[in-house]
Amino acid sequence: MISLQNINKRYKTAAGIHTVLNNVSVDFPKGHSVGILGMNGAGKSTLIRIIGDAEPADSGRVIRDAKVSWPMGFTGGFQSNMTARENARFVARIYGEDPEYIELFTQEFSELGKYFDVPLRSYSAGMRGRFAFSVSLACNFDYYLVDEALETGDARYREKFRRAFEERSENASVILVSHNENTIRRNCDMAAILHDGKIDMYDNLKEAMRFYKLLQTKAA
Amino acid sequence: MSSGVSLTPVDNAIDSESTVTPIDGDAVIVNMEDRLDWSEVATAVNTQARVIHALIMRETLSRYGDHKLGFIWAILEPLLFVSLLAVTFSYLRSDSPSGMPLVPFMISGFVPFLMFRNCMNQLKGAVASNRTLLGFPQVTIFDVIAARVLLEGAVMGFVFAFILGMAHLIGFEVRIENPLGVLMVSVSLLALGAGLGFFLGSVTPIVPSVGQISGILFGRPLFLTSGLFFTASSVPEPFRGWLLYNPIMHLMELMRSYFFYEFESEHGSWVYAGSWVLGMLAFGMISYQALKRRAIIGL
Repeated sequence: MISLQNINKRYKTAAGIHTVLNNVSVDFPKGHSVGILGMNGAGKSTLIRIIGDAEPADSGRVIRDAKVSWPMGFTGGFQSNMTARENARFVARIYGEDPEYIELFTQEFSELGKYFDVPLRSYSAGMRGRFAFSVSLACNFDYYLVDEALETGDARYREKFRRAFEERSENASVILVSHNENTIRRNCDMAAILHDGKIDMYDNLKEAMRFYKLLQTKAA
Repeated sequence: MSSGVSLTPVDNAIDSESTVTPIDGDAVIVNMEDRLDWSEVATAVNTQARVIHALIMRETLSRYGDHKLGFIWAILEPLLFVSLLAVTFSYLRSDSPSGMPLVPFMISGFVPFLMFRNCMNQLKGAVASNRTLLGFPQVTIFDVIAARVLLEGAVMGFVFAFILGMAHLIGFEVRIENPLGVLMVSVSLLALGAGLGFFLGSVTPIVPSVGQISGILFGRPLFLTSGLFFTASSVPEPFRGWLLYNPIMHLMELMRSYFFYEFESEHGSWVYAGSWVLGMLAFGMISYQALKRRAIIGL
């Protein structure tokens, strides 16, 4: 389980102090995939970075008694002047996995072909996504933190990833951040709404969607 | 806003279990209130070592490529640099300074200076060129910088030994009076470069002009005033006093004293140079600590 306890996070901006998370406590149970909905700028990416320990909170604590991936997303983690093979080995090393295995699994699963030995800078967004998911799948995390990146890549590959993912879904969960309801409906069985520095968790997707629509219309 | 809605949020109450054991190396629990747990410390040290190892592998790859030629260039560059300067200066001045043989004199000045300068330059760009990797929770700016210092130290140490060996084989007499002293001065120069690099590495992402100013300041002026091709005693007095404000000048004097049987410096001071090195390291660490968050985001 991942558990956030009394998390506070603020940013100083030119327009004053912006409170992203205001004394937030929330649990992400194992085996459930949670979609985090929120308007632009609500702090979804910050939240997932705090969950993944890529950024410290101002106060409060995060308990992770599971293997949590790095936050995968647009900014996520790879060196564009290194090839996929080198990046895969790098990830394996920092997570203490066997580099040979991670490299082979990633090469096999990502279906990048000869591009596997080409620096990432010449990849399309879809290819990058494919690579990122393959590496993380190879590492066999309990929690996969995904920041609005699932929509890249073609439908067939997305399906392949989802199937591979479902095979291990008894002990693997996704925490997915998106403002796209369809993405969350397809990938998650629970939803959380981030709004005004607070998080509300719903175990019923429909209710979450209805409330999120309400928020959106109110904002507009 | 979200409160008082008739929908039913899942109960977020947290059970009071606070002693959860990590399942794997990376499942580190952020838990500041509990007592220090040595197995957690061991896990953290282990993770740090793995990360630095991975970063060194990455640095080596991106700097020298997977070709052997890349590493040869790492040695060839300072080798050419030193031999070019040694040849030039041996034409400019035929007498060897204070009875020291000229070529070892040059080598013992340039290579240690490169240790300082390369270390500083490598660290200056360390954060910028590794920023994407900081998205991994295990990878911190400290790891990125430490990896570069270690790699730079190893490469330059090898280069130093290699060039001295070459010079000896060619027929110049290379006899080192106190190898341990030479090592100590080299490490001090590396540490001075690391301290300055820590500072520049954390400040440059926020204030890019600092990087440019330091490039000018620590480029040729420092090169010419650090005693690479002269000794302090060969400089007349008002200037000598000014030069001796430069801690690298002191380290160079000490280097030559340890290196050569023929030379004992009366100007090089460990107290002065050492305080600079330690002060610089502390200053670098403090500025890193103060600025690391902003350096990552790049505000």
